[in-house]
Amino acid sequence: MENIVPKKEWSVAIRYNHWIMAFSIFALIVTGFYIAFPFTLTQGETVNKFFMGNTRGVHVFFGVILLFLFVWRLYLAAFSRFHADWKDFFAWTDINNTVKQIKFYLLVSKEPPAHKYLYGPLQSLAYGGLLFLVLLICLTGLILMGAGYHAGWTALIYPVVKPFEIILGGLASVRYIHHVLTWAFVLFIIVHVYMAFWYDVIFKEGTVSSMISGVVFRKGDH
Amino acid sequence: MAHQKSAQYDRVVRKQYRELMDRCKVNLDRMDSELPPPVEDFQDVLKDRGVSRRSFIKWTSIMTGALMLPPMFKPMVARAAEQFSRVPVVWLHMAECTGCSEALLRTSYPNIDDILLDTISLEYHETLMAAAGDQAEQCLEKALHDFPGKFVCVVEGAIPLAMGGKYLTLGPKGKTGLQLAREVTSKAAMTICIGSCSAFGNVQAAKPNPTGAVGVGQALGIETVNIAGCPPNPNNFVGTILHCLMFGGLPALDGLGRPVWAYGKRIHDYCERRPHYDAGEFVEEWGDDGAKKGWCLYKVGCKGPYTFANCGRIRFNDAISWPIMAGHGCIGCTEPNFWDTMAPLEKPIQDATIGGGEATVDHIAMGLTVATVAGIAAHAGATAWVHRDDKDTANKE
Repeated sequence: MENIVPKKEWSVAIRYNHWIMAFSIFALIVTGFYIAFPFTLTQGETVNKFFMGNTRGVHVFFGVILLFLFVWRLYLAAFSRFHADWKDFFAWTDINNTVKQIKFYLLVSKEPPAHKYLYGPLQSLAYGGLLFLVLLICLTGLILMGAGYHAGWTALIYPVVKPFEIILGGLASVRYIHHVLTWAFVLFIIVHVYMAFWYDVIFKEGTVSSMISGVVFRKGDH
Repeated sequence: MAHQKSAQYDRVVRKQYRELMDRCKVNLDRMDSELPPPVEDFQDVLKDRGVSRRSFIKWTSIMTGALMLPPMFKPMVARAAEQFSRVPVVWLHMAECTGCSEALLRTSYPNIDDILLDTISLEYHETLMAAAGDQAEQCLEKALHDFPGKFVCVVEGAIPLAMGGKYLTLGPKGKTGLQLAREVTSKAAMTICIGSCSAFGNVQAAKPNPTGAVGVGQALGIETVNIAGCPPNPNNFVGTILHCLMFGGLPALDGLGRPVWAYGKRIHDYCERRPHYDAGEFVEEWGDDGAKKGWCLYKVGCKGPYTFANCGRIRFNDAISWPIMAGHGCIGCTEPNFWDTMAPLEKPIQDATIGGGEATVDHIAMGLTVATVAGIAAHAGATAWVHRDDKDTANKE
């Protein structure tokens, strides 16, 4: 038998962050698509219905959660006591390794890239890109939220983000960008889930379960 | 406790308004001594036009409310209205359709706003003045000479910049719009851009914009008050002038130079169809049951959620109606580049086609999603083939 060593890879904070973010993004995509393509509720009196209002409420709620998760994730990347992984987001700067990984993914070569960082080169690009997307969609979301809710905390944030509204060319452009970014999340999720299972199958290290248990099973020394 | 707090709040607010009132009085007195006397008595003008004193008082209430001032300012609004004709105005026409002038001057019967605009001391207005040719030019020169730094320059229309501005040449001396605007605005007390053309360029600046048209502020690099709209509501223009007369300065402006009292909230925020939006009741196509019931126009392309304006509160044509009330969605005419950013006007914003084709961003993204899923399926199959030996070695162990 090969020597299989359980190794803790993900801290509790990262795992909570991951799953709350996953759920939030899922809820945001579902409610967001309703807001973009609403269906009409023909039954009943107007006074008894508040479906769009509630959907927008849920959307804004999870949007703000996503913003806090983003800030938390940045904090963990910089100051996590388990493993501050901000350097790992630059794994792609090792070009040779990146080329190796592309070959490995395209099934040209069967030799996996060296496991120097927490993330593989393409993973680092994808996750860094995702965080950038989260930043953009939170910013455009805050603008749209601030324009729509005129009291409380939402009214406090609006003057801060208003200059970006003007730079981006008005609320219409902001809304369009917000809409396009949603599709980027949809594509990311499809590829991300597939690649997680693919890793699990190819390396048999428990990649999928590691995001729940925090533990991967490394074979030998690697 | 709560009562005490609100009493204290009241005292603070009252004090603020009293100070504002003092400022207003000082300013109106200063105007009395500085500006030329009114050409005719405003109350006589109103009487001649068949407007009763009562209508005038009602109008002051409306304007006081529209300017977001408490009722104690009503006499000040009345006094400012009487001073209206003392402000010398030079009105320039650039690349435009004169629709803004038309909107301001033509109504079914004269209301106070129209009369105010009629009595305004127009030193130069290319559409309205009787003078032509050299005489017209002399009017302008006289105004610039008589009231340097005192007159209000109102600009209607965008300024073309391409070919050195030669897409627009005006007058007997063949000046370009750019030259004329620079000459006049440099001597004006303030520049008011009326309509989206002079404010942001509007349709002339829509893609591909062959004449290089831009708004006045951008063309000259100056600060302007932008009364956006295509055409704008006369109330917003009159209210802004009233504010200047009353307080001797510009009203608060937003980041795009629009007065906040008029352009501070979106169409969507004060829309009478808003409850239908929140309820999830939408017009699906023109003339369907929802349209008959006055449901929300979001799905037939209403751009109210992206448009800052007060149309729904002030309305048009003596407050008879406004676009959304009439059954068509807002087209967002008070926003910069609305021909490009708000298109298509009768469809939701994400239905804009890309690159002149038929495809929208959703079509492209759906295609990408399908391609991704297909690619994943192919990759999974190929992986099973290429890595088929890995499994055997694992089993052997």
